[in-house]
Parts: sequence; structure tokens; C-alpha cells
Amino acid sequence: MATASPSVPFFGVREEEKLTTQQQRPQQSSSSTPTAAAPPKKKRNLPGNPNPDAEVVALSPKTLLATNRFICEVCNKGFQREQNLQLHRRGHNLPWKLKQKNPKEVRRRVYICPEPTCVHHEPSRALGDLTGIKKHYCRKHGEKKWKCDKCSKRYAVQSDWKAHSKTCGTREYRCDCGTLFSRRDSFITHRAFCDALAQESARIPAGMNAIGGSHFYGNTGIHLGLPQLSSQLSSLQEQTHCANDGAAPFNHVTLPSFRPPQSATPFYLGGGSSQDIHEDTQLLQSKPFHGLMQLQDHLQHNTNASSSSSAAAATDLFNLSIFSNGNNRSTITNSSNSGINQNAHLLISDHFNNASGSNEPHTLFAGNPLIGNHMDANMFDQSVNTESVPPHMSATALLQKAAQMGATSSCSSASSLLRGIGSLYSSNSKNAGFQASATQVETESHFQDLMNSLTNGNTGRFNGGNHQKTGFSGFIPGIGNMNESKLQRNLSAGGLGTSDSLTRDFLGVGSMMRRGGITPREQHLGINISSLDPELKSGSSTRSFDGGSLLIAITVLCISKRYL
Amino acid sequence: MTPLLAGVVVQDDGSSSSVTSAPLETLSLSPPSLAPHSPWVRELKSDERGLCLIHLLLDCASRVASGGSLDPANAALEQIALLASPDGDAMQRIASHFAEALARRAIRSWPGLCHALDSARVLPLAEAAVARRHFLDLCPFLRLSFVVANQAIMEAMEGERVVHVVDLNASDPTQWIPLLQALGARSEGPPHLKITGIHEHKEVLHYTAIRLSEAAERLDVPFQFIPVVSSLDNLDIERLRAKTGEALAISSVLQLHTLLATEDVDGHLRKAQRIAPISKLSLGEFLEKDHLANAHSTSAESASPQPTRIQSFLASLWRLSPKILVVTEQEANHNGQTLKERLVEALFYYAAVFDALDLTVPRQSVERLRLEKKLFGEEIRNIIACEGLERKERHEKLERWRQRMGISGFRALPLSYCGLLQARRLLQCFGWQGYKVKEENGCFMMCWQDRPLFSVSAWRCNLVESLKKRSTSVVP
Repeated sequence: MATASPSVPFFGVREEEKLTTQQQRPQQSSSSTPTAAAPPKKKRNLPGNPNPDAEVVALSPKTLLATNRFICEVCNKGFQREQNLQLHRRGHNLPWKLKQKNPKEVRRRVYICPEPTCVHHEPSRALGDLTGIKKHYCRKHGEKKWKCDKCSKRYAVQSDWKAHSKTCGTREYRCDCGTLFSRRDSFITHRAFCDALAQESARIPAGMNAIGGSHFYGNTGIHLGLPQLSSQLSSLQEQTHCANDGAAPFNHVTLPSFRPPQSATPFYLGGGSSQDIHEDTQLLQSKPFHGLMQLQDHLQHNTNASSSSSAAAATDLFNLSIFSNGNNRSTITNSSNSGINQNAHLLISDHFNNASGSNEPHTLFAGNPLIGNHMDANMFDQSVNTESVPPHMSATALLQKAAQMGATSSCSSASSLLRGIGSLYSSNSKNAGFQASATQVETESHFQDLMNSLTNGNTGRFNGGNHQKTGFSGFIPGIGNMNESKLQRNLSAGGLGTSDSLTRDFLGVGSMMRRGGITPREQHLGINISSLDPELKSGSSTRSFDGGSLLIAITVLCISKRYL
Repeated sequence: MTPLLAGVVVQDDGSSSSVTSAPLETLSLSPPSLAPHSPWVRELKSDERGLCLIHLLLDCASRVASGGSLDPANAALEQIALLASPDGDAMQRIASHFAEALARRAIRSWPGLCHALDSARVLPLAEAAVARRHFLDLCPFLRLSFVVANQAIMEAMEGERVVHVVDLNASDPTQWIPLLQALGARSEGPPHLKITGIHEHKEVLHYTAIRLSEAAERLDVPFQFIPVVSSLDNLDIERLRAKTGEALAISSVLQLHTLLATEDVDGHLRKAQRIAPISKLSLGEFLEKDHLANAHSTSAESASPQPTRIQSFLASLWRLSPKILVVTEQEANHNGQTLKERLVEALFYYAAVFDALDLTVPRQSVERLRLEKKLFGEEIRNIIACEGLERKERHEKLERWRQRMGISGFRALPLSYCGLLQARRLLQCFGWQGYKVKEENGCFMMCWQDRPLFSVSAWRCNLVESLKKRSTSVVP
């Protein structure tokens, strides 16, 4: 028995039922079908193997799609079969005649598909019965009018839809893209494509974040078989979310060292390539805010813990933990930091400990080409790199300062241009006084400096990912990047760079706390800074704990003196 | 900082050595003339250099604006050239782009020079596409805008059987693939999705069409892509009209401001000047007059009686009666009448943009350079150096758009909290630190730190209200 043509894998199967009606037909030419010779019993006429002497009928698409071809001229009622129409005509007292079938006279008919591109357009592949060709035409070239309410799958033939409706939902495969499959094979086929899609949308964040953005949290957890870890991760993500919203300054500091995306992205990528998907996605999708609510508690807990600990020491260590965690992640074992690292962990609450253990899943996926070690190393290098360059002011801060200088000096026509608009943008516009502005700028530079050292790593990696995936930018820039930063890392591997960053970050934290305006410590710090001002005015150029911004202040002083 | 490192990081050799007063002395606004490699230039710390650059830029701008001899402007540009560099720190980068723009501005009085230079710099399609792609990858703004817009569209299209989305700039399919996914996963089943993509270039539309069709096939969403090869200027909006039963959504990402470009009030005059070469002096006088006349009027166009291009465009969009119109625009006022206004606004705006890039993308990144040069640099050049119809980058703040939309019969459709959450999650998931999304009167502001840089807003047409508004707006 010949198999169905490969292009229509289940077509033949469906046709079987219809074609059984022709079983009694004598096999006229056994040579026409290659397998006919073997079994002596009567063969069904399989699609694509018509009798050579059958009459080939080509029906128009309209005829094929017409449900009721035979219309009663009296009442316009339509019938699928002529015999039925004849019986109907009897009711109108019209002349009617039932055709008598004469098996000897009747020639077999085969039907070809009117679609020229279809394999069944060839007379040699014509289909053996009218119902078959009609269904074929509907299924393959017609509109899918029947939709399953449960899974939205569409069918062109009503009977297919009915058959599907009976089984739909009894056994189903759900892809995390939301599509339901009732058949395992089509599900697997789909997954092959959907994985590509998933990987792409991992690269394209908008992809996963469109609507069911939460689906990848659940998804990854299941893939890894580490549900509790994943839930913690997602909780962490929610938590950092809160931290971003709230003004709690402490969280700005702690957050980056446990930055979820670093682990979440590889999770997702890794997850995308494995096969099993299960229902937890739905659960997460349906309750997007659940985690958020729950985690308010955690957040509070953490801030409490932090404020109760001695701020300076704590932040120091936390800062350090940022980098030491980075070390863990980048799989460069850096033993010199490990002692401090542990200290830092002592201070961190349990959640964070768990999260910083995320180097475990990271190694799970180290083999994944998309997130190879190079990437992570690169990421870490970048952060080291930026951390060791001297602090500089952002362009915005510079502009604000220029504007304020313009405000204090009236002789400079150029900088007075900035004055009006500059005051709009400076958040401190009320304090036109020079000291205030200087410290404000200083605060900002610290803050941004800190941000700098923390953010660069991540986006560096993100960037690296782009190198690999975007067609536009080849590999070379990325590699060049990497080498260079590696070089710099080697150079800065000495202790000096680290200690420098420590003091600076400490300051950054201090200024951030001052900014946040929460702890009593802030005032203390504020006084500290202002008490340095006389020193500044005396023109001493000592580089106390942070050279950069003090020098800026000096510059500003000098400039404004000249203007005055 | 280790001495070792000082050798490696070249551009930041601002150094552990204490700064003496010597370089500061030279910080005057117009040092007589600088030897090309005078030592102080290299000794400057990045902050001092930055301040110096700002002063030089403003100085140069006022010279250019005041007309007269080009010599002072030339001198300022020469000094800027010593300090600025397109691959230095943020301020250096900004300065190099502004300096180029100012230079082009300065030679506007020589149309021959302008034309010669401009004819060589037509941006190839591929380069523009690459720059835009980098913008998508290196900054979160576009993605945020996509997420928010898609969410708004999904909400507006709930229960619709046929969804028709018009994309005023279909330059890449990135926005719509998530929408396809979302629609495919819709609980009531996927609708029939039609996307009409408008773009000037057929190839771009072709690429978009292929990508989207593939995605739709994969996701099993009935989908149709209708390419419309046209610029927004010449767009036949009636072609976009939705068929009965279709629900229409319109998306504009950084497009509407280009329609603000009008022949300036002085356009004819300037044209005349272009044809007949004029003396520099008259242009200078001219600009001076400009300053005085329009010191703070931002809206020459709203005062003009006949409907402007943007108004007629918005009105025709309104006539399509879309269920939703999502607009992303730069949150800046780069449409001031005078060069001075625009320059200062643009300085602040692009300072924030470049700061953001500086803190999130490594300096050596080729992508970042390309993005800054081909996208932001071009924008800066357009804002500073162009006038009239050529000046396309007329970014305006949301408040102005709100008025304009109101006049055209649109009513604000508040964006949902869900959209805000998604946007924030996007930032947080991909470690976009320092970027923020804020809600403001039902619209979202995408910020770097606290500075809003882009706005997303949604609009719908309300027949009754808009009719009222229309009748009142006609009266004055």
C-alpha cells in the first residue's frame, strides 16, 4: 500500500474513510499501482493513484466550494446530491427521475484539484472521489472558517473541526508562546520554530515584555528544575522593582550586586532551548502582581536591616560585595577578595545570599554559545575598567554648573545664555548659592560615578550580545572591545584600583543617603562636606577622599572669581 | 588611579597630579590663539575641559548668530576642535557634533559651499537603518515605547475581530512581533491582523513584511501586511481608511514632528538670498532681527490662520476615526525660532542622551559611535544648521502636542498602569539602570535620571467633544 504524499502528511489518513466506499471497485490494472501486485485482495484507490482509464474531471473552485449545487427551481432549496433534488422535486409535483446506476456503463471518475500549484492538479495524482476532492480543496486552498473555541485552531472542513472539538483539551501541549497543540508532533514542530523566536525575543526585550512578559519567569524555573531558586529570582526582580520606585537609597546600592537580569537572561536563553513547557506559566501570568505584593515585606525587612547596621561600614562591605560577586560570576577565581566576600555575605540577608548563589545556574549554561564565558568576562571587565578611570562629571552636570556660573557672573554673555534654561533643569534651582550648587553637582557626580561602575558591566554584556546577533555589526568590534578591556583589567588588577574605588563608592553612597534624606546620618555627612569648604577656599589642593569633585569645586571657584 | 593605568586610558588623563592654577588661567573665553598641541590641552581634566567646551560652544554660537565676520566663529571652532573629540567623554562628543553643526550653520551664507558639502553626505539607507538599530539596542527608549504602545493597542483592541494597525514608520518589525505574540495568545483567540506600513523605501517595507509574515505564520495569527511606499508628507491618508468591521490603531514613533517643518515666515526672503548670494552682514542682521522678534514665541504656527501641515495631517487621521493613536515623541523643545534657543535646548537635551550612553555603553563601542554620529549627530545638525522645510527635527514637548491633538479632535486616552509596570519591568530586567519611566497625566515620560527625554501618549477621537472643540477652535 502506497503511502500518502509527503507534502500532505495526514491527508491520506483522513481520506481513508471516504475511500472505503470504493472498495468494491475491481482493480482493473494492477500494473498501475506498484504495490498492487503483492496482495491479491481488492485495493482501495489511494489518493494520487487513480485508474489510468478513469475519466479525469476538473471542477472549478466555485463548484468545489459550493455546498448545494443542485437547486430546486421552485423553492430555491439547494441539495448536495442530484438524487436528493429529484426526491425533493417529487414534493413539488414536478417531474422527477432517479438515475439508475448501471455499473457496467459507469466509468470511474477521478477529480483533479483546480489549484495549478497543487500536486493533485496533475491528472496522474487525481483524487478518486468527489467528497475527497472537495475536502482537499477546502483544507488546502480554502478559508478556514471553523474555529475551535478552546484552542482557536481553525479548520476549513466542518467535519475536521467536529473531530477536533471532541478531542481538544483532552490531550494538549501548550507552548509558552501561548499556542495550544492537541498533537504532539505539531507541538514539537512548533517548538523548533518557537525556540528561535524565544531566543530572538530574549535579545529583543520588547519581545517578551509585550504582554505576557511574566511567562519567562515561570518557564525558566521549570526548565531548570530549580523552582525555588527561580521563584526567588523573580521575587528579587520584583523587589528591585520596588527599590527602583521607592526612594530608599540603600537599595540602590545593594541592588546591582544581585542584579537579576544577569542571571535571568541566561536562564531564559537556556530555557528556550529545552523542550518541556508546563502550566506554571499560566499561573504566573494570571497573577502578575502577586509577587510584588508579597515582596513589599521583604523590601521593608531589608531596609530596616540596613539602617540598623552601621551605615558606613555596611555600605563599604556591600560595595565590595558588588565586585566580589562579579568575580564569582565571571568564573575568574579571585582568592584575594574571598575573605571580604564572605564578610559581605554575612551582612546580606538570606534572600540575597541565595541570589548571589546564582553562579550555580550560570555554570549550568556555560556551554551555551549565546552566553559563553567571554561575555561574562567581558561584562566584568567593563565594570572594572570604568571603576578605575577617574571620576568625571556628566555633561548634564557640566551644563548645570555652567548655567549657575552664568547666574553668578553677569559679565559673561555666553554663559548667561544658559542661565534661564539652566535653572529649569537644575533640581536645586532654589539654592542659587554657589556652595549648594557645588555640592549638588558633587552629589550627582558621585551618584553617577557609582552608577557608572555598576551599570557598565551589564550593558557591556548586552552590547556583546548584539555583536553576535545583529547582522550589521560584525564580530570584530566586539572582540576588539573585549581584548582591550581585558588588558585594562590586567593592568588594574593591582590592589590600588580596588581601594580607590572603595573610597569613592563610599562617598557615592554617602551622598546618596544625603540625597535620599532618610537617615540621621545624612546630616552628619552634609556637615562634613561643608566643613571642608573653608579648606577649599584657601586654595589647598589636597586630594582628600575624593579628588575629582573637590577639584571641580576649585575650578568653579576660580572661574567664578575671575568672572566677578 | 594607578600610574600604569594612566597610560592606558588616554582620554582621561586628568590625573592624579594636583591641578595647579596654571591651566585655569587659560580658561578664558577667548584665549588669543592656541598652538595645536599646547600642553595645557592635554593636561585639562575632563570636567574643566567640559566647562571650557560649553563656553566655547556658546561663544561660537553667539558669533555665528550675530553674523558679521566668520573669523571669531572660526577661532572658537578651532579651539573646540582641540578639545572635542567624537570618541571622548560625553561632553567632548557632544561638542564635536555641535561644532560641526555650528560650522554648517556658519557657512549657510555661502549656499555653494553648503550644497557641495550636503550633496556628499546623503545618508545611505543602510547606514540610517543601522543607526536606528543601534538606537534600539543601546537605548531602551524605543523598546519602552513599543511595549507601552503595544499594551495600549491590546487594551483598545480587546474583543475586536479584525485589527488594523497603521505604522507611520515601518522601518523595522521589532514593535509588531510582540504584538503578534500578544494577539496570538489572546484569550478570545487571535483576531485577523492587518498592518499597514508606511515608509519611503520599498526595500525596508519588504524586509518588514517578510519578518512579520514569518512571525505571523509561526504564531498562527491570520495576518496581512500592506506596504505603502510614501513619505509622510505625500501620504494619501484616505488609502489607510479601514474597511467596515476593522478596528484601526495608528502608531507614530518619532514621526509627527517632521510634519511641523514649514516654510519659515522668512522663508521667501531666505530663498531669495540663496539664489542671489548675499553679504554675510545682511544675514547677520537678519538673524539679529529674528532674535528680537520672536524672543519667546514658540508657536508661530498656532497663530497662523490657515491650517498647517501638521493640523491637516492630524485632521485627516482623525477622519479615519482610529480607536487609538499612540504617539512617541522627543520631549524637548527644539522648534524655537532662534538659533540661540534651539542650541541651548539641544545642548541640555543631548547632554542627557549622551550622558546616558556614556554610563551604559563602553566608550570604545563602535555601535555607540555610529549611533551618536549617524542619528544624534544628524539630528543636532538638522536642529542647528537647517531652516525652513529642511529643518525636520522639530521636536516639541508633550504639552504642545496635547494642544495640537486637542485642536484636531483627539482626546487623551490615559495609558494603563499595566503598561507602566511592563515598561518598568523591561528596564529592570535588562539592567537599564538610570533610566526611568514616569507617569504624567496619563502619559508616560521616559527619562534619563530625572530628565524626561521621550514621551508616549495615546489618543482617541471623541466625536462629540471634538466637534465642540472644532467649532470653538475655528472661531479665533
